[in-house]
Amino acid sequence: MAALIHRPEYAGYDFGPEHPFSPARLEMLLDLFRSLGHEVAPIAAPAATREDILSVHDEAYVAMVEALDQGKPNLEADRFGLGTPDNPIFPGMDLATRWLVGGILHGARMLMTGKERRVLQLGGGLHHAQKDQAAGFCLYNDLAVAIQAFVAHGWRVAYLDIDLHHGDGVQNLFYENDRVLTLSIHESGHYLYPGTGHIQDLGSGSARGLSVNIPLEPFTEAGDYLEAFESVVPRALSWFSPDVLVVQAGADAHFADPLGDLALTTQAFQTLYQRIFALADAHAHGRVLLTLGGGYEAQVVARVWTILYLTFMGLPLPEHLPAVWMDHWRHLLGPGTGRELHDPASAMPDLPGREARTRRNRDVVNRLLDSVRTYWI
Amino acid sequence: MLVNEIMHRPVTVIQATTLLGDAFQQLQTRGFRHLPVMEQGRLVGVITDRDLRFATSSLSPAPRTAGEPVSLVMSSPVMTVDPLDPIEDAARIMRDRKIGCLPVLDGSDLVGIITGMDLLDALVLLTGVTKPSSRLEVALADRPGELARLTAFLATRHVNIHSILTHPGADGRVRTVLRLDSSQTRPLAETLRADGFDILWPAQKPWQH
Ligand SMILES: [Zn+2]
Repeated sequence: MAALIHRPEYAGYDFGPEHPFSPARLEMLLDLFRSLGHEVAPIAAPAATREDILSVHDEAYVAMVEALDQGKPNLEADRFGLGTPDNPIFPGMDLATRWLVGGILHGARMLMTGKERRVLQLGGGLHHAQKDQAAGFCLYNDLAVAIQAFVAHGWRVAYLDIDLHHGDGVQNLFYENDRVLTLSIHESGHYLYPGTGHIQDLGSGSARGLSVNIPLEPFTEAGDYLEAFESVVPRALSWFSPDVLVVQAGADAHFADPLGDLALTTQAFQTLYQRIFALADAHAHGRVLLTLGGGYEAQVVARVWTILYLTFMGLPLPEHLPAVWMDHWRHLLGPGTGRELHDPASAMPDLPGREARTRRNRDVVNRLLDSVRTYWI
Repeated sequence: MLVNEIMHRPVTVIQATTLLGDAFQQLQTRGFRHLPVMEQGRLVGVITDRDLRFATSSLSPAPRTAGEPVSLVMSSPVMTVDPLDPIEDAARIMRDRKIGCLPVLDGSDLVGIITGMDLLDALVLLTGVTKPSSRLEVALADRPGELARLTAFLATRHVNIHSILTHPGADGRVRTVLRLDSSQTRPLAETLRADGFDILWPAQKPWQH
């Protein structure tokens, strides 16, 4: 069975009206599921406790977030990455994040007890948060808390990050842990935030070969992206044979995302999601725990994550978006948004430099495979 | 950045009278590639693992043996720098002379050593890639106030700059590469473009005109 997790309190994770990580994205998404005629009754999970957060974060950092949560100004905040344009301070920020962490943790527990095989947390995916730092819109690392719970349960965990950005926080927290395989496919850090996720970052000690990064050239399109994914991810999962697959399903690799430079289409996302569920079935006992993540263009994330949800539930995809939903969210969708669920076939013209990009992406994948070969035996 | 901020200390040294076999052991066990050579408390040379292997190789016309002293093989006299020299000067000396290390002398006292590796560490620090950041690349006109105009723009948006590197571009303009503590560089770049800056990265997406 498949379980959806969400509660209205997730809307409290809100950095303000000017900030791209807007909670309105979730509200319009749920409204779209319902407007498409689906009974949606998500599970409301309890908030994570302080102890849950401390399973991956430093006490000093958590104490700082708690103090700022209560509105106590602190000049040291920026030492913890807080109070920056990416991570503004807001009242209630500690609890707002613990709601999100609690959701994924609840999902993890349902998988551990065998109650569910597929869980989708509608929110979160805070993959940049570091042990002692907020980073890139992420306060507590919800994914890492769930992974840590699986590890404590004795499971081996594969983490797959399809967000536009490198999943640096999760990678760093498990860089030396040989129970956790992290895979991140992203736009190259040579240009994009956070600047990491190179093929040479392979994990350390007994976990060497368990941090796997696929950095792609700016303007990479679906063909190259899916080819790179197929060259690396199935091989890694088949070799590692995890007990569960955790997925950060950011949608910011779409061509219309305002923060990034990758060029995926809705069709590419559909293929990607189908492959992820098939791979979980083949290599992770069918157990998969997904969160959302980045994705900053309202009309894109509504369509892409609806495709995710329907694929997750095994439901057919509609051709069109409901008119009533479009009218209701017109102010966020923008005037140019069409009625189709998928991007038009003509969305991506013949781009200059395509062949050179393909060659470079293939080189990167080949070099990655050369360097992990000795570890994956 | 100054030499004394990146140099290694204390320095492991050997004596000019040390035998080549013992010097080889030292380089081998300590994992060093360079050792300053001292005589009566003064720096008189440098010996590298390469010097030693060439001098003792059976392919050499007159191979040295393990029982001969270091003074026969070391490079001497030796290039040195002052702890207060800027690292770019140290880098230029090492590049010009094709040498892998520079002993650091304060007066006649050996106070440290810098190697090519230390300069690479400095490059990584200077480029700001040790912190979560994104790249902004701008071609600035080569005249007073242009860099200030750029950084003032970032300041008004409270964007922290982790590093700035500039170098002359082929077109006479100043190529300026910044690492910013921001994941919102693309929208920033669009505002900068509207303000008349020539932004090289993030480039306009080829499918959006
Ligand atoms: Zn992202």
